[in-house]
Amino acid sequence: MATLPASVESLIARFGPSLNFPNPEGIAGRDEPDAVVKTHCCFCGMQCGIKLLVKHNRIVGFEPWEEFPFNEGRLCPKGVQRYLQNNHPDRLMTPLTRVPGRGFDPIGWDPAMERVVSEIQRIQSAHGNHAFAMLSGVSLTNEKSYLVGKFARVALKTRNLDYNGRLCMVSAGAGNKKAFGLDRGSNNYSDLAHAEVIMICGTNVSETFPTLTHWIWQARDNGGQLIVVDPRLTPIARTADLHLPVRPGRDSALYGAILHQLIKRDWLDHDFIANHTTDFDKACEAVADYDLDWAERITGIEKAKILRAAEMWGPARTSFLLHARGIEHHSKGVENVLGCINLVLATGRIGKPYCGYATITGQGNGQGGREHGHKCDQLPGNRDIENPEHRQYISQVWGIEEKDLPGKGLTAYELMEAIHRGEVKGLLSICFNPLVSLPNNTMIREALEKLEFYVAIDFFLNETARHADIILPGSLHEEEDGTVTTAEGRVTRIRKAIDPPGDARTDTSILLELAGRLGEGERFRFQTSEDIFNELRVASKGGTADYFGITYKKIEENMGVFWPCPSEDHPGTPRLWEDRKFRTPDGRAHFHGIAYRDPGEVTDAEYPVILTTGRVVSQYLSGSQTRRIGKLVRQYPEPLLEIHPALATRLGIRDRELVRVSTRRGAAEFPAQIVETIREDTVFIPYHWPGKKSANQLTSGHLDPISKIPEFKVCACKLEPTGKIAPSPDESKAWASA
Amino acid sequence: MFATLNLLALLSASLATLALVVSIYVGSRNLGNFDPALIAYLFGCIFACFGVVYRYTVWLQRPPTWRYFSRGWQLFFTGKAISYGWELTKHFVGNFLGQNFIRKRGKSVGYGHFLMAWGCLLAFAVTFPLVFGWIHFGLKPGGINTYEIYVFGFKTDEFPLHTWIAELIFNALNWSAILVIAGVMLMMRRRLTHAGQIAIQTFENDWLPLLLLLAISVTGIGISVDNRFMEGRAHQFMAITHAITVILFLIWMPFGKFFHIIQRPAQLGIAIYRRAADEGPQAVCPHTGEAFLSGMQLSDLKHVTAELGFDFTRRDGKSHLDYSPCGKRALLARAHLKARQKSGHLFG
Amino acid sequence: MNTFRVDQEFFLDPQRCIGCHACEMACAECETNGQFPMIHVDYVDRYYTPQTSVQICMHCEDPVCARVCPAVAIEKDEYGIVHSAKTDRCIACSNCVNACPFGVPRKIEPMDLMMKCNMCYDRTSAGKRPMCATVCPSGALFYGTREEMARRRPNSSPVNTFKFGKQTVKTRVNIMMPKGSTELVVDANG
Ligand code: SF4
Ligand code: SF4
Ligand code: SF4
Repeated sequence: MATLPASVESLIARFGPSLNFPNPEGIAGRDEPDAVVKTHCCFCGMQCGIKLLVKHNRIVGFEPWEEFPFNEGRLCPKGVQRYLQNNHPDRLMTPLTRVPGRGFDPIGWDPAMERVVSEIQRIQSAHGNHAFAMLSGVSLTNEKSYLVGKFARVALKTRNLDYNGRLCMVSAGAGNKKAFGLDRGSNNYSDLAHAEVIMICGTNVSETFPTLTHWIWQARDNGGQLIVVDPRLTPIARTADLHLPVRPGRDSALYGAILHQLIKRDWLDHDFIANHTTDFDKACEAVADYDLDWAERITGIEKAKILRAAEMWGPARTSFLLHARGIEHHSKGVENVLGCINLVLATGRIGKPYCGYATITGQGNGQGGREHGHKCDQLPGNRDIENPEHRQYISQVWGIEEKDLPGKGLTAYELMEAIHRGEVKGLLSICFNPLVSLPNNTMIREALEKLEFYVAIDFFLNETARHADIILPGSLHEEEDGTVTTAEGRVTRIRKAIDPPGDARTDTSILLELAGRLGEGERFRFQTSEDIFNELRVASKGGTADYFGITYKKIEENMGVFWPCPSEDHPGTPRLWEDRKFRTPDGRAHFHGIAYRDPGEVTDAEYPVILTTGRVVSQYLSGSQTRRIGKLVRQYPEPLLEIHPALATRLGIRDRELVRVSTRRGAAEFPAQIVETIREDTVFIPYHWPGKKSANQLTSGHLDPISKIPEFKVCACKLEPTGKIAPSPDESKAWASA
Repeated sequence: MFATLNLLALLSASLATLALVVSIYVGSRNLGNFDPALIAYLFGCIFACFGVVYRYTVWLQRPPTWRYFSRGWQLFFTGKAISYGWELTKHFVGNFLGQNFIRKRGKSVGYGHFLMAWGCLLAFAVTFPLVFGWIHFGLKPGGINTYEIYVFGFKTDEFPLHTWIAELIFNALNWSAILVIAGVMLMMRRRLTHAGQIAIQTFENDWLPLLLLLAISVTGIGISVDNRFMEGRAHQFMAITHAITVILFLIWMPFGKFFHIIQRPAQLGIAIYRRAADEGPQAVCPHTGEAFLSGMQLSDLKHVTAELGFDFTRRDGKSHLDYSPCGKRALLARAHLKARQKSGHLFG
Repeated sequence: MNTFRVDQEFFLDPQRCIGCHACEMACAECETNGQFPMIHVDYVDRYYTPQTSVQICMHCEDPVCARVCPAVAIEKDEYGIVHSAKTDRCIACSNCVNACPFGVPRKIEPMDLMMKCNMCYDRTSAGKRPMCATVCPSGALFYGTREEMARRRPNSSPVNTFKFGKQTVKTRVNIMMPKGSTELVVDANG
């Protein structure tokens, strides 16, 4: 039974979120730290280098790491305040067991582990191995991601392992594999510097990847032009040469229309298309009718602007296309991605200096995590769990029979549905907070309540883990060694700065002990993170994400190595496709015919407004970490409903008035922020908050048929003014909303 | 400060010094109660008086200072100050006696400063009247157990010897020295360990005052210790070093860090000013649409800047100062955007 | 040991700012600032635009803030850095706060003290770059040599002359303007 053991309020009072502020007189010892540890920020795929100051096994501050090549000391506010997740009053320091009526009581490691193992065995023997599932996240290092993948398949023997990257990078990954046969940004970001035109599609770089801004601005200093596709005028769009405020859910129509223009005006690289690609005809056929009038009608963008975009993109000599969740969080996420890739391939501007294409991976280790482990359909090295050869190879590395290697499992949202249906009865989660981050979270809550047994490994008691039966206190980013692969595909070193405090243990040691207790100890004989990495290298060998030639030493010496790196004397691959040898079976890049179709939910008389969701710069994902850092919370204290004045006037909504937003899945109230910087037919709510302040009470569970990513970026809603003006934001307690 | 002679300051300093000398003469009953052993201290005090008044007068002549000074007294004499009596008292108790505002800057500086300040004030309260001969003690005629206190030559009180009251009074300077030493220690520790302090401190401004206070207090206590436990063997040395440090303190008073002791009460004037200004009309920023400053301070500020030779008059007749700080920042950002847009390139 | 690098200067470019507030957070971490940020980042007018203003102290040649201070609490040092009010002198009257044409000084209310950007003196005096300019992800804040700036921004000119109404103010800190500009006019129609 995984209902809450006590009232939400009492759990919040005891486990937070509470806010950690720095000591105004400075933290003692900051000026003379015991150690200065070069590592990375834990809060996004940029993986900015940062130095942490350590005193008496505590992180007391930070110092910019100016030598690290990607960010040269630059950080965003999350990076600057990152050190305050350490030393936090909410930190879990002892295993806990659920006590109905009281909440959670501490128990020792031994009884906790025993309970977990006996419940796993009970559920699996009664309902089969796959009735016990695991959910994990890509804030984990490559080592831990690899370990999770192996643990679930070898120790838990379940096929039902998936991860929070399912809400993040899967559309891009699937699109890239289809088009290029490999899932990685094609270029590193230094290729932005001299791109003549940069197209940024559905990514609020200024708030989600602030440190990437430097490279884009550098291109503009060099005369480059910027096109931004976004329903909102974001800070990165404000100064853009061209802003295309697309109607949410209509992205593929826009890329189709631009392709139509490229074809019409013959802004094509015929040589490249002929020699290195396939299916261009299909792409052409699909967009044959996508003229400007049609495009304007569908996308809501003036046709002159669409034409202008084609004129800027078409004849340029160098270019870079970037996209992120804005086009990927759709029931057509993969199609949107392929629509973008078509534009890149049609102009042949890839695999050359300053000619690039990349998705911007969102999570800290979104890139490495998905390559090596916890994706329900993937094996290390970006291998396919259904490919017999791949299965054979990994089984041999893991020392198991191929037949014992489970097959493809359910994806994250589907997994929650299966729990809801009662098919999956037990859950182990690490580093994932689906109650805040998955859409339609009323269903998620009901599902959690139906679990027979739920064990969570985490460092804070996040909203989802409140439903757990056993909580095992794990480790923070700075408490274990490892590696992380950045959005650029650069493998970097995460250095351990301190030991986990109290009785908390490293995630690795917890998983290893569980594996041992589940009787698979001899397949998990790792002493150090480097041991795990060395096995990962072998496991990835020959896969598309080949890490075999990467060692800790090499990473440290070069401040990162770009995969693929098949041998120790290989320098790594900062720019892909210079050899034009794509990793598809036929060695060519593939065009795809992308016919436009509507999003999963369209507006109607009852729900007449489009709702889209996204992020703010001061928060990260479900906020388990950043909603606990005082100044980050103060920067943007509560989720606001961004609404255009024309729409607000029509509905009689005043600034800061509480507006009731309802969709087919739920309703919630948010203060209105009336701004001209959003489309008239669309409202926006950021999603980092829990409980009644959660935007994901409203979002829909429509999934992309290929990537199974949920459609966070578009659904239909109804707005009703409540007549009440919201109290001042300073009084908001949204960060700990029940 | 003293580079060019300031006539007004010279005049007021001379008058003040003269007044001090006269009051010493009269207060000590024509020097009858004056203790000749303290003559060096006396000259130190007289010099300090001259210097402090001189500098204070120079200071007051700065346009902004003068404006506040005159406004303050103007408000005081129109009786405003009285109607704010309660708040002013609170301010006085909290921020003057209690020094709450310093504690808000940090605990160690708060407590350190509190101890030092009260140690010093206590020492001043004892030392000046003694040196000026305004107070002296005498054995009550006809006994050996009761002491009498004379103020300006008049007997005001008496107390029995060998009681805690007597200990308290006779050792007042020692108590103050202990307070000061404790305070100095806290302050020094902060100056040695706090990276921010280390970065901006200077020897002259930050260390010298602490060292001087420490020296005064240690030698002061030294005299007592010597009397009690060493039969006065080191008296000569202690007395001379103590005198030297105290006189250095007095002479340095008008120039260095310690001048803030004289300046600080102006904060009370600011409190009156602010209180009165809050009651009047408020200036509203044309950019934010919010009140940001009292009309009185804004108009005073415009006068002061004009007196100082600044002219912020805009083409629309408004002053740049009519904008709140936030408004000013927005104006600049907008002007910059406009200039950039006009050139056709936001980047480059 | 003071190792202030006199060859390095501050260059500001508000149009690059993305309003992320990293500078503000980092500024507060500076040892001299006691967790108070000295830099300002504000929306210019959020209703119309996400444009932000970002303002550090410009370290004026003839600092108005210091001139209007009744307590002589604000001093400019030999490197041209205009420091925070001296804690012993400042009487928290807010004259500087309201007279500074750039809107820089802050009155820290409970402390009864004015504090302002001192260009991270704890860092710059040790040869390091100021916090804000080191972390700023957009280059809205840059600290380095003039040559370096010219190399990075060949089509912009650093400008350090401002006109606020009739008043000309010259500063130590530069603002990046279109190439060839010599001053930034901040006025009603400017
Ligand atoms: S969140 Fe991302 S952009 Fe911000 S500092 Fe961390 S890694 Fe850099
Ligand atoms: S910018 Fe303002 S605070 Fe800085 S020196 Fe100039 S007047 Fe003073
Ligand atoms: S760090 Fe840079 S981009 Fe961010 S708010 Fe400050 S000036 Fe603007």
